[in-house]
Amino acid sequence: MYKKKIHSLDKSYFAEILFSSPDKYKKFEKLSYESDNISTMGSCNSYVPASFNKNQLSIELKNFNRIIEFDKKNKLITVESGIQLSELCSFVLPHNLWIPQMPGYPTITIGGIVATNAHGKSCSFHGTIYKQIKKIKIFHKIHGWLNLSENENKEIFELTIGGFGLTGSIIEVQLKLEDFLGNNFVTEIEETKSTKDTLNKIKQHNNSEIYYYSWNRTDNLKNFGKGFIFKNKKNFSKSLIVPKKINSSINNISSNLILNIWNDHTIKLTQTFYYIFFKYLKSKKYEEDFNNVIFPFIGKEIYFKSFGKKGFIETQIIVPYKKLELFVEEIEFLYKRYKPSITLYSIKNFKGSKRFLRFEDDGICFTFDFINNYNNLKFIGQLDKICENNFLTPSIIKDSRLKLSTIKKCYHEYEAFKNDIFQYDKKRIYKSAISDKLQI
Amino acid sequence: MSNLIIGASSGLGREIAYEFGKNSKNVILMSRDVKDLKVLRSDIQFKHNINVEIHELDFSKLDEVKNFISKNLDFLNRIDGILFPIGMMIENDTIKNTEEEFTSLFSANFYSVIFFISKIIDIFEIKNKGFIVGFGSISASLGRDSNIGYSCSKSALERYFEGLIVSNLKTKINIQFYKLGYLNTNLSASKKLLLPKGSPKKLAKKVIKNLDKKDLKTYFPKWWVLIDYAIKIIPFVLSKNIIKYFK
Repeated sequence: MYKKKIHSLDKSYFAEILFSSPDKYKKFEKLSYESDNISTMGSCNSYVPASFNKNQLSIELKNFNRIIEFDKKNKLITVESGIQLSELCSFVLPHNLWIPQMPGYPTITIGGIVATNAHGKSCSFHGTIYKQIKKIKIFHKIHGWLNLSENENKEIFELTIGGFGLTGSIIEVQLKLEDFLGNNFVTEIEETKSTKDTLNKIKQHNNSEIYYYSWNRTDNLKNFGKGFIFKNKKNFSKSLIVPKKINSSINNISSNLILNIWNDHTIKLTQTFYYIFFKYLKSKKYEEDFNNVIFPFIGKEIYFKSFGKKGFIETQIIVPYKKLELFVEEIEFLYKRYKPSITLYSIKNFKGSKRFLRFEDDGICFTFDFINNYNNLKFIGQLDKICENNFLTPSIIKDSRLKLSTIKKCYHEYEAFKNDIFQYDKKRIYKSAISDKLQI
Repeated sequence: MSNLIIGASSGLGREIAYEFGKNSKNVILMSRDVKDLKVLRSDIQFKHNINVEIHELDFSKLDEVKNFISKNLDFLNRIDGILFPIGMMIENDTIKNTEEEFTSLFSANFYSVIFFISKIIDIFEIKNKGFIVGFGSISASLGRDSNIGYSCSKSALERYFEGLIVSNLKTKINIQFYKLGYLNTNLSASKKLLLPKGSPKKLAKKVIKNLDKKDLKTYFPKWWVLIDYAIKIIPFVLSKNIIKYFK
């Protein structure tokens, strides 16, 4: 165990922590028994400080990354929670199996996606990772080893998925795999004239396995919402299935450049270039490999680094269908008023049922990335008010800045989650900077 | 063909086990941590489709090792080669260690290893083939005030392996000894070191590649050979004063 300086991916939270990365179960248990408060850490790729807290022990599980059981016939796999998505894909894809709920970076661990109830691009069809989880094994300093499933410790099972690691260290996960036939993807691009136009087109495909998501411009009022809809379809025309290897030697995503290179000029320049490239230079239909579609940030880590030391803010909000019109009007009004510097604006379908603090609902998911500055914070503050007044769902795991008062208003089961966690673990051993913010 | 890895549940031993798997060679894994061994076995079997056998055995307890060998002589006959990527360290390993601490350290790092070899070498001689691979430490090159039991036992192991090489010059048994500098394992994770750490993965690859070589004593990372020679050339009177200066 040693001291280590660490920060969240969005650079909102810096801390000196106690860190240990055991490679044996006995060592892991010993560390857990000897510490008053514990965070469990996967790859520490979260935008928010979900796996650490100031002066507190974080137990990294990168050495617990093995396959425990694989039942190809029944499409079930049991893995240790430290296994990264790239490692899991490298094993299951040659068997033409996978999990569709893949967040966009391959070093993210299975433990991480369970603790955050992660989703992928096809969340309107496949839902969140919740749907794939059959069993979980956790270790809790007081309760010991616990098996969780629909049939065993169901209450803790529910608290653990999307529970930010507060029920104990997630050690093993059994997942239901899905078929993945074909070798790569065919991507089609459709131009869109505004946010409303994007929504009209995207809503038509809210129950499709094809991935629909948009990239929309934010560089000025005239262009706001213009952009493209990307449709990634599995390519079944290829008869030859080649083994799909995922490169796991990925750049360090969490480092940063000395200065922030993003401002209104660079945003305009890059968005204009991107728009021209896809409108005039890129074919409207082309083949893309697995990595490009599923892990779009591989090789583009510079995007995160280029925000400099101050980092960035990402806001992700699910808006129910009936409130879309109002939300879009409000966003456009606020955009005119504050002229925020938005580096990324994207829209996709979402499907799920809101429970506890899980980022789930039926509707449309809006994603915005901002430069971390005063004006943008004022704009995002107004977004928070829209969320509170309209009972929208802002993502806790993406937005470090999100206030507890907003969370309480937007997540009606906040108190239930808090009470259940306190009832289960009266000493509140498993904590993080996020749980401190949540006062849990 | 079965290759026995002692201390296989973590660090270098674990990497060597995967490397055997990648080369489609069956392995027998031995460690005191059976839970880790079980998971490692399933992972290697699923990924590389080889036979993996596991045995729980604590090398820090010489009596346990003796007992295991006496009850499993048939087991020894099945082994074609043996590797000892085992290294036990304890906190506050100083000249004031208790008898129990010294006994555990010497058993794990030296006595149990040489006892095991003394039993298996007869079998290899009859088969007229086999390999034995040991792993020492650069810390064994000079007396020190920390990790004293560890460095003493590794020093003894190094002399033993030199003896083993000399004794087998005319046999077809391959004896190999790797003297290791800093490795990027859990043991060194918290230490701020002046020199870079070697990759256990690269070492494991090298070990498997070298298995056919005879009479090998080498360093990893390679450049530690220069430091080791320098330590040997400098008289103890001088090195003692250098240590005093930096303290």
